[in-house]
Amino acid sequence: MTLVVIRPSAMNYRVQHRTRYRYSEPVSLCQNLAHLTPREVQRQRCHHTDLMIRPHPAIISPRVDSFGNPATFFSVQEPHTELVVTATHFIEVLAREKPVRPEQSPPWEKVRDALAMDRSPAVLEAYQFVFFSRFGRPNEDLKKYALESFTSRRSFIEASIDLTKRIHTEFIYDTKATTVSTPAEEVFKRRRGVCQDFAHVQIACLRSLGLAARYVSGYLPTDPPPGQPRLIGADATHAWVSVFCPVLGWVDLDPTNNHIPTDRHIVLAWGRDYDDVSPIKGVILGGGTHVMSASVDVVPNLCD
Amino acid sequence: MSDDINLSARSEKRLEPDWLSYHPSAGGYDEAFEANGDVRPHWQGLLRSLAGSGLSSLKHRWSEARHLIRQNGVTYNVYGDPRGMARPWQLDPVPLVFSTADAEKLEAGLTQRGLLLEMLLRDLYGPQKTLASGVLPPELVYDNSAFLRPCHGSKPPGDRYLHLYAANVTRDPSGYFWVLGDRTQCPSGAGYALENRIVLSRMLPDVFRECQVQRLALFFRTLRETLSGLAPQQRDNPRIVLLTPGPYNETYFEHAYLARYLGYPLVEGGDLTVRDNRVFLKVLGGLQPVDVIFRRLDDDFCDPLELRHDSFLGVPGLVQAARSGTVTVANSLGSGLLETPALLAFLPALCQYLLGEELRLPSAPTWWCGQSSEREHVLTHLDDMVIKPARPSLRMEPTFGGELSRSQRTALADRIRAAPRDYIGQQRIALASAPVLAQDRFEPRHLTIRMYLAAHGDSFAVMPGGLTRVAASPGSMVVSMQAGGGSKDTWVLSAGPVNTFSLLRPDDQPVSLTRAGGDLPSRMADNLFWLGRYAGRAEGLTRLLRVVLGRLTDGAGTSESPELPSLLRSVTILSDCQPGFVGKGAPARLVAPEQELLSVIRNPRRSGSLASVLSRLGNVVGTVRDRISTDMWRVLGDLTKERFPHELFAEKPDSQRDDEQEWGTAVSGLTLIDELNYLDRVVLVLAAFGGLAAESVTREEGWRFLDMGRKMERALHTITMVQSTMVSVSPPERHLLEALLEVTDSSMTYRRRYQGTMQPAPVLDLLLADEINPRSLMFQFAALADAVDRLPRNTSQPGYTPEQKLMLSALTSLRLANLNELSLIDAAGRRSHLAGFLTQLSGSLTALSDSLTRTYLSHLQTSRHLGNFQSILQES
Repeated sequence: MTLVVIRPSAMNYRVQHRTRYRYSEPVSLCQNLAHLTPREVQRQRCHHTDLMIRPHPAIISPRVDSFGNPATFFSVQEPHTELVVTATHFIEVLAREKPVRPEQSPPWEKVRDALAMDRSPAVLEAYQFVFFSRFGRPNEDLKKYALESFTSRRSFIEASIDLTKRIHTEFIYDTKATTVSTPAEEVFKRRRGVCQDFAHVQIACLRSLGLAARYVSGYLPTDPPPGQPRLIGADATHAWVSVFCPVLGWVDLDPTNNHIPTDRHIVLAWGRDYDDVSPIKGVILGGGTHVMSASVDVVPNLCD
Repeated sequence: MSDDINLSARSEKRLEPDWLSYHPSAGGYDEAFEANGDVRPHWQGLLRSLAGSGLSSLKHRWSEARHLIRQNGVTYNVYGDPRGMARPWQLDPVPLVFSTADAEKLEAGLTQRGLLLEMLLRDLYGPQKTLASGVLPPELVYDNSAFLRPCHGSKPPGDRYLHLYAANVTRDPSGYFWVLGDRTQCPSGAGYALENRIVLSRMLPDVFRECQVQRLALFFRTLRETLSGLAPQQRDNPRIVLLTPGPYNETYFEHAYLARYLGYPLVEGGDLTVRDNRVFLKVLGGLQPVDVIFRRLDDDFCDPLELRHDSFLGVPGLVQAARSGTVTVANSLGSGLLETPALLAFLPALCQYLLGEELRLPSAPTWWCGQSSEREHVLTHLDDMVIKPARPSLRMEPTFGGELSRSQRTALADRIRAAPRDYIGQQRIALASAPVLAQDRFEPRHLTIRMYLAAHGDSFAVMPGGLTRVAASPGSMVVSMQAGGGSKDTWVLSAGPVNTFSLLRPDDQPVSLTRAGGDLPSRMADNLFWLGRYAGRAEGLTRLLRVVLGRLTDGAGTSESPELPSLLRSVTILSDCQPGFVGKGAPARLVAPEQELLSVIRNPRRSGSLASVLSRLGNVVGTVRDRISTDMWRVLGDLTKERFPHELFAEKPDSQRDDEQEWGTAVSGLTLIDELNYLDRVVLVLAAFGGLAAESVTREEGWRFLDMGRKMERALHTITMVQSTMVSVSPPERHLLEALLEVTDSSMTYRRRYQGTMQPAPVLDLLLADEINPRSLMFQFAALADAVDRLPRNTSQPGYTPEQKLMLSALTSLRLANLNELSLIDAAGRRSHLAGFLTQLSGSLTALSDSLTRTYLSHLQTSRHLGNFQSILQES
C-alpha cells in the first residue's frame, strides 16, 4: 500500500462502500454501470482505489463518462443469488487554501449572462449544467422560491449560500418521504427528503434562474472529528451541490448540513443529477424478488 | 422550326382535350404541368399512356392493384385509430416522375448534405468544436435529450455514423428544391417505396418499361453491401439483423417486408442479449453472435441500462457492446440528435465550417427563437411562418401562423417569449403538387418526397426514387401518413439503358443449394407454439359450441336432448368461463342458456371466451407475420379482423359496473341461428389454417413448435371432454356419448365400426387409444413424442432428454391402458379409474409445456432493473 505523507492541512480517509443484492431466485445475467471510483479533483487525491465484485464479473470495463467521471461497466454471467460490490478508497482531502469570500463574487445576473455568452472552455463546460435534467424540471414555484435569495444585484455566492441555508432550515430530513426517483418539484411540494432530494431542489432552483449547478455524489466521515458534530448523511453515500461562478470557479455547498464543504467531503463523481452518477445501475434477468442493502464506512486513515 | 412541327408538339403537350379535366392548383409548382397548362416533357410518356388507355381501364387495373395491397397485408398502423390498428396502405396509381436532370441536381445536393450531417455527428459526439467556435449554440446540444450522453466520446466502427439517411424534399413555386427536414436515426418508408414500386410496376408494366424508369434494387444492394462491410468481425459472412420495436409500431409491416427483402432475420429486443460485450441472437440451438444491427428502434429505446430506463424494447448492454466496437448499430446510437429541427437554421454556417463549402441544397429558411434577433424576426413575420418545436422531444403539432385568429396569435407569441429555446419559425413554403386519382377524376394534391441515401464508401448513394407522400385533401399543406395522407411511387427517368438488376430474382446466378431453415429465434418459436395452441383451443371450443347450438336450435328442449345440461357444463369447464353452467346461478342458466352461450362465444372481455381466444390468436398472428405464408395470414386475418356487432362494447373496457346491462344491449340483435352459422365459418377457417400448416410449411423447427402447440391443445380438449362427460355417469349415456363423438369429430368412424351399438369402452378406445384416429389422444401423444425427438439438443448429454422421457412414459401408459377397466363404474356412480388416468395424462402435458419452456425458451425471461429503481419520468 502506498505510504501517505500526512500534511497538517490534509485529512486521510479509508472509505469502504459495500452494496449487496440478495435474490429469491437465481439471476442468470446481470449488467451494471457503476460510479464507484473517485474522480480526480483539485483538492483531493486518491492514493488507491479498488472495486471488488462477487461473483466475479465476466466483463469489467472501466471508462470515463461524458462528465469526466470514472465509470465501470460490469456484467455477471453466471447464475447467482447474491451480488456484492465493495469499493475501497484511500483518499487524501486537502482543505481549501482560502475560505470562500462571497464578496468576491459578481452579482448573480452577471454570472447568468456570462454563462450564456462566454465560450471559453471552462464556462462552456459549466454551461451544460444550466439546463434541466430528469430530476429537476422547470417550475415557476421553484423559481419564485429561488428569487427570495437571489435579489437584484446580490452577490452570486452570497445568494447561493443563503439559498443553501433556507433549504436546510425549511426542509425536513426524512428518509421515508422520498425514493431515489422522486423529482425536485415533488420534494419541493412536500418540503421533506434526504440529501439527494435537497441537492435536486437547490439545483432546480439555481437552474430556473439560468445558473449552473451540478450534483456531486460522495462521502462524509462516519464519526466527526473531536469536538465537531456528526454530519447528516455519514452512513450512506452523500450528495451536495456545486455552483459555478466565472471568477471563483466551482464552489461546493451542502444544503443538508448548511455547510461549505472543506476537508470532510470526499468527492466521488458529479453530473447533472443523481441519474448521471448513481453508484450502481443494473438490469437483471431472473431473480424473483430481491432486497438491497448498502453500507458506507469512512474512517480517518492516519498511519498507513 | 416549321409551323407543322410546332403544332404537333403543342398538341402533345396539351393532351387535348383538357386532359381528364385536371386543373393544377394555383400558386404552387405542379410537378406534371407547367403554369400555362402544358405537360412537362418528362411526364408526357406517362400521361399519354394513361390517357390513351382511358380512365375506366386505369380504374380497373387500379382496383386489382388495391386488392393486391390488401392481400399482401400492406398496412400502416395508426395510433389511436378507433377502428383498429392496421389501416391499409394508401397508394395512388399515378407515380411522381422526375427527369434525369432534376434527379442529378438533387443527388449532388443530398450527397453533400449527408456528408455534412455525418461530419456534424462526428464532431458533436467527439470534440464539439462546433460549439466552442460559436458556429452552433451549445443549447441545441446541452438542452436536448436527443444528445445521448452515454454515447459521447465513443466512435462507431469505421467512424461512420449514418448508414441510411433520408430527407424530406419539396419544390417551391419557382421550381427550386428545399429540404423540410432530415431523418437520421432510423428513417422509415424505404420499404413502402419498394412495395409501391412493385405494385405500380405490376399494374402498369408497359408504361413502366417504355418510360425507362430507374430500378430501386441497386440502391438496396448498396445498402446491403454497406451493412455487411460494417461488420467488425467475421466480415466474410456477417450476421445482420433488423431490430424492430414490434407489431404495434406504426410501420411494422415495413420492418417485416424489408427484413424479408434484404434477407435479414427480423428481431425484437427480447431476441437479443449481450454477453461478454457482444450481442447475440437467441435461437433454439443457443446463442449466435450478431455483427450488425440494422435498427428501426428509436435511439433512446435501445438500451434500458444506459438509455431510457422505462422501456424494455431494446437490449440491456447494447450501448456498452457498441462502445466496445464488437457490433455496428446502423444508424449509430445517438444519430437522432440531427433530427433536431433547430439545427436547420445553422446548416449553412456548419457547411462552411465543416466542409468549407456552400450548402447546395437549402433547408426551408429556419429561425431558432433561442436567439433574440431571430426570435423577433419570427414574431414580426408570424403570418408567413410555421411554428415548430425546436427539439425532437417536444411533442407539438406544427402551427401555421397565418391561420390563427388574433387572440391565438397573441397566445402563441406569449408562449414563444416564455420559452424561446423551445421554438423555431420556418418560412412557409408552398408545397409542390401533382395529380392524384380521386374517384372519377384527377385532382392536385400537395406533396413532399422522402429521398433516401445509403452510405457508400466515403460518400453516399442516392435511391433513384423515393416515397412521395400526398396530403389527404385538396389545398391541405399537411402531409402525414398518420393524418390520413396517401403515397405515390416515385419514378426517376433514365437517360440511358436501365440496369435491370433485381434483388428479388437472381435467376441467372447459381446459388448454393441449402435446406437449412435458418436459425429460429426462441421468441419466434414461443410465438408459433402459442399460435398453434390458440388455434387448437379455438377449434376445440368452437366444435363443442356448435354441437350445443345445433341441439338448441333444433327446437329440441331438454326432454329430447337429455345430454344438454352435461354438454353445457362442458362448455363452462372447457372455456373456463366461470360461473357459467357450473358455479353460482347455474340452474337458472341451464334452463335458459342463450345469454350465457352468446357471452361465451362473443364477449371479448371474458377470459376464455371464443372471442378472447380469437383475439389472442390475432395478436399472435401479428408477431409471426414474417414466418407464416401469405395464405395462412389471409385465412386467419379474415377471421380475427371480423367486426362483431358488439364492437363498441369491446372497446370500452373500463366501465365494469354496467357490464351486464351493456352486454345485453350489445348482443340484443344476435340469434343462435346466426351464431351457428358463424361457428361453422370459424371451424372451416381453422380447418383451412390447419390444412395450410400441414401442407405448405416445411418441417423446420418453426413448424414443429406450431404443430406441438396444436397437438397439445387437441389432446387437452379430448381429455377435458371425456372428463366432463364420462366420469360422472347418469344413465342413459347414449345421447351423451353420441354428442362426445360429434364434438371430437369421430362419429363417422365409430358408426362404421360399431353401427348402432353405443358403449363406453369402444368410445374410449376410439378417443384415447386408437393410434390411427387423428383426433385420439394416442395420435396427439405419438406426434408430440416424434416432434420432441427432432428438437435440437445438447449432443454432449447422452440418453433421453427430459421431454423425451415425459412423452415415452405417457405413450406407454396409454398403450398399456385397460379400456374395460377404465370404463368401470364404482359404487358412487363414477369412473374413478378413468378420472385418475386422465388427470395423469393432462399432468404430463403440462409438464411437457413447462419443460419445453425451460429448455428452449428459458432465455426469454424478461429483464428488469436492479434496486428500487422505478420508472423515471420521461425527460422532455
